Amino acid sequence: MSFLKSFPPPGPAEGLLRQQPDTEAVLNGKGLGTGTLYIAESRLSWLDGSGLGFSLEYPTISLHALSRDRSDCLGEHLYVMVNAKFEESKEPVADEEEEDSDDDVEPITEFRFVPSDKSALEAMFTAMCECQALHPDPEDEDSDDYDGEEYDVEAHEQGQGDIPTFYTYEEGLSHLTAEGQATLERLEGMLSQSVSSQYNMAGVRTEDSIRDYEDGMEVDTTPTVAGQFEDADVDH
Amino acid sequence: MLFYSFFKSLVGKDVVVELKNDLSICGTLHSVDQYLNIKLTDISVTDPEKYPHMNCFIRGSVVRYVQLPADEVDTQLLQDAARKEALQQKQ
Repeated sequence: MSFLKSFPPPGPAEGLLRQQPDTEAVLNGKGLGTGTLYIAESRLSWLDGSGLGFSLEYPTISLHALSRDRSDCLGEHLYVMVNAKFEESKEPVADEEEEDSDDDVEPITEFRFVPSDKSALEAMFTAMCECQALHPDPEDEDSDDYDGEEYDVEAHEQGQGDIPTFYTYEEGLSHLTAEGQATLERLEGMLSQSVSSQYNMAGVRTEDSIRDYEDGMEVDTTPTVAGQFEDADVDH
Repeated sequence: MLFYSFFKSLVGKDVVVELKNDLSICGTLHSVDQYLNIKLTDISVTDPEKYPHMNCFIRGSVVRYVQLPADEVDTQLLQDAARKEALQQKQ
């Protein structure tokens, strides 16, 4: 395996959380021998008896799991799925397209780490969980609060959005009377200050909104369409 | 933050997590963190694969979908809450 390299075992400087000796490593079903697994905060490493091994970066680890299937020929082990390609003739490659590759899906490599001490598996799993949490993905330019396909607040603001499938901010705004708009503006001000005000809906009179009207601020109560609110209760 | 809270409310429910590499994993939602990393227990793979794993940690960034039981989710409430959060973020 030419992707195996010689490097010094990780130590405290790399945030070594756990090392598990006498652990067999298996790559895509092919055994690599017995060595020591090092679970460090910076990366996951495995080195065999001759000092050759490999490292995995946590952002490339899609998932890890404990396999408790004792009928598996390997027995209980730690399973790690990596979003990278490891081949006998190549260095590990992440997300690169190859000329003769017939799969444009992401590459998947499966590692299994089989410790001779099965009671260590829980601790190994937990140590990996802790290390994964230390490597979140970097923030994208877009806020991670919306995907491109979902309701795009910014696009609607600039008038570039597609016809919305549900009630949008701008759509509702144009249907409001002057009184309603004043109410909405006041409520939005309240919304930006406190989370609890999210329960006030525009136009609905609550104790708070009635109180707010009596602070002397002018509100135009004449309906824009004559006769529209003749039977409405306009008592503030 | 909204969906972190949302998933916390679903802890203990059975879900199917579909990953970006097309693998689907069925299991019980054990826990979720602020990055939406997901821990499942009692997992099985819904496609014909070979791993009967019991405990699984899935990195949040590789999740494409989380399929939820329909009767466990109030979609109207969730839509309203998401819309409000988007408005708040905008200000």
